[in-house]
Amino acid sequence: MREILAILPAAVRSILAALPSAVREHLEEIRLRQNQPLEIRYGQQSGYVTPSGQLTSSARQGWLFTEENAVKLLALVSQHSLYALEEELKRGYITVVGGHRIGIAGKVVLDRGEVKGIRDVTSFNIRIAREKKGVAARVMPSLFEAGQPLNTLVISPPQCGKTTLLRDMARTISYGSEWCSSRKVGIVDERSELAGCLQGVPQRDVGPRTDVLDACPKAAGMMMLIRSMSPDVLIVDEVGRPEDGEAVWEAIHAGVAVICSAHGADVSEVALRPTLGKLIQHGAFSRYIVLSRAKGVGTVQAIYDRQLKMVEKEKVAWSS
Amino acid sequence: MVKLIGAVLILFSASMVGWQIGRYYACRPQQLRSLLVALQMLETEIVYGMTPLHRAFIKVGNRVSEEVGRVFLQAAELLVTEKAHSAEDSLRQAMSRHWPQTALRKQEGDVLASLGQVLGSSDREDQQKHLRLAVTHLRGLEEEARVDQAKYEKMYKSLGFLGGLLVVILMF
Repeated sequence: MREILAILPAAVRSILAALPSAVREHLEEIRLRQNQPLEIRYGQQSGYVTPSGQLTSSARQGWLFTEENAVKLLALVSQHSLYALEEELKRGYITVVGGHRIGIAGKVVLDRGEVKGIRDVTSFNIRIAREKKGVAARVMPSLFEAGQPLNTLVISPPQCGKTTLLRDMARTISYGSEWCSSRKVGIVDERSELAGCLQGVPQRDVGPRTDVLDACPKAAGMMMLIRSMSPDVLIVDEVGRPEDGEAVWEAIHAGVAVICSAHGADVSEVALRPTLGKLIQHGAFSRYIVLSRAKGVGTVQAIYDRQLKMVEKEKVAWSS
Repeated sequence: MVKLIGAVLILFSASMVGWQIGRYYACRPQQLRSLLVALQMLETEIVYGMTPLHRAFIKVGNRVSEEVGRVFLQAAELLVTEKAHSAEDSLRQAMSRHWPQTALRKQEGDVLASLGQVLGSSDREDQQKHLRLAVTHLRGLEEEARVDQAKYEKMYKSLGFLGGLLVVILMF
């Protein structure tokens, strides 16, 4: 939270500081739109914030985010160096210290039909990354066979704690635990979310034996890591493109255990996607972990094995 | 005897004044060169290194001559401590503090200040254009400064001495 406050204009900072502490601790998103009231999402709810830091459902009473503030926020987020964010402006989000992510929208600039970047940024969505240690403990026992880590696919709809789980798995494997000895872990962190790197240094604890390739395309990054860092376990977020599938396939046959994640509600749904479907069909993964929000963020809906038989049906919630 | 000491003093101080003015003409091209080098380094940092502005300022500030470097170091500090709310503001504040101690004039200050208005607020291509423009501008000024140096440096130095001498002669 402190890192987030540091990049906000003073006006927004003081309003957020005035929020009730119960809300502040469960803050998930801060949404800022030019000439619109400041909106926050916390827990499962959302609301506008008045200039005195009170929550309200009336948009008219909310504190207005002016153009001046928008310009200031962008300057602070970019450290007055917009040129350093070209890639980020193309992708539409910026990762800041602490691994938090700021989604942006505004006027898109095209270059020969392709998105070149966003000018006049008017909408900001600040997503606060939460680090929850120990969440992987409930799934770890099912991820090993004879002490060897298994290829695992984590399936989850957005905002169900997929990245948090992956990060904790990386940390647990890297440190070693009662289920396995410590292993070398390689993370390809295309969106700088898993390790939240700043200038190449992980801002989150991903373990002492973990190497991170930050902001690297997944497919290329996986191959690079295998060649250069010889990891025992490779962890990647959000596999989906055809080249990612190929890379996963290759990594698996290079003797590296791959743990990756995909958006989806269930194995059957993910199996319909071209790339992942092929991988599932060929039995690339030995474990599937399905997450949901049924009992709060991070509910483990079920764990399946290679034949899609349920290994364990246990509802685990790590946040109330 | 007193008269003699007075004469020596006058001669000495008059030559010193002349020497100072002459030195100003000698320093200006040198510092302009420093500023040019600084902007070219800034271009490399921004266009190829994609270094955040405050760190680029520090890098550049540490590598060019002290008088010019101070401006960049101060600007970087203002940015980091959030005492300046924009890149332009940081440069303006830094310049208002350190510019008078340099041999540089308002013209060069204006070039730097107008560069500050766009610094950091656009993509790399655009930054490069603006930096190059500023460099060309400064090159012109440097040329002028060199001509001035050739014309006035020696002149003021001798003028100081000769002026002092004139007063001494009139005294006797």
